[in-house]
Amino acid sequence: MSVTEALTLVAIVGAATYAMRAGMILTLADRQLPEPAVRALRNVGPAVLAALVVTLVANPEETMNGVTLAEVAGLTSAGVVALRYRSLVPALAAGMIVFWLIRWAV
Amino acid sequence: MSAAGRSFGDDDAHTRLFGAVDREALRDSLPIFVPAIPFGFVLGVAITESAMPSGAAYTSSLLVFAGAAQLTLVSLAGTVSLWTVALAAMVINLRHIMYSAALAPAFSRQPKWFRWLAPFLLIDQVFAMVSPRTSDPPERFRSYYLTCGSVFFIGWQAVTLLGIFFGSFVPASWGLSFAPGVMFVGIVVLMLDRRASVVAAVVAAVVCFVAVGLPNRSGLLLGAVCGIVAGFLTDRAPRREAVGAR
Repeated sequence: MSVTEALTLVAIVGAATYAMRAGMILTLADRQLPEPAVRALRNVGPAVLAALVVTLVANPEETMNGVTLAEVAGLTSAGVVALRYRSLVPALAAGMIVFWLIRWAV
Repeated sequence: MSAAGRSFGDDDAHTRLFGAVDREALRDSLPIFVPAIPFGFVLGVAITESAMPSGAAYTSSLLVFAGAAQLTLVSLAGTVSLWTVALAAMVINLRHIMYSAALAPAFSRQPKWFRWLAPFLLIDQVFAMVSPRTSDPPERFRSYYLTCGSVFFIGWQAVTLLGIFFGSFVPASWGLSFAPGVMFVGIVVLMLDRRASVVAAVVAAVVCFVAVGLPNRSGLLLGAVCGIVAGFLTDRAPRREAVGAR
């Protein structure tokens, strides 16, 4: 692939990504959204990020989407610690430590 | 004067852009940035192995600034047509439309320059961090957003470059690529403040898990849409009961 082709590809994806990120902000910021739309949009964060976690961990080419016991335990630990301490640092530490320990032990 | 009544037409954009590093945002951003480091290394290695020239592939960090889409871009380049690569990367980024829609009301009291600049920095982590801040005063929201976004943008450039030069020295057996998933679980849990948000997250995760084999990671979008609808219906349920009881 030539440099020109590569830069063209990056520019196209960059422009499209910006359009996706900016589109709704630029068109809806000055409008009063209907109440049902506002309520629906409040669920965007939890829904998209929960699906993102699954996408990051799962591998569709393996049995049970390739999710291991160590991964499930790590994610669960992170969730429980985040819920208990309302902080991301201990959640991240707990999740990774449990993941490493179980992977090492099994 | 209320914040809503201010005119932003005379704002000194330069002062507002560079003169307001939000220390709280800085403190919040750093631990969330840490799990992105292994991802940056993975991307760096992928860039060195890509059919794209490394310098051109690196510009994706500057112009696209979206890890998963960049990984798709550099991995698929040279293996399928140019438009197929572009389309695959764009499908992965479709979730940003939902982020944009969710944050749009918070921009009603923001100046035009910020409305145009902020979307460029709207990545997953920044969305997660600024979402709970939408009811902050406009200037506070702006400084928090810009500081978070700048930390991630500058940091992402650095780790991508480090990944290009040193990524191959980190053993895959360390399993560091698992870290972003752990971080996002923590972020999701901190967002669960209502029954509807719990339903939205659970439904999204289950549907995405079932549909994870769909092409171009479109299982993510399907899961997200199902979760949003399920959360919306959960919010509506008590109202229906109340109407029915009359």
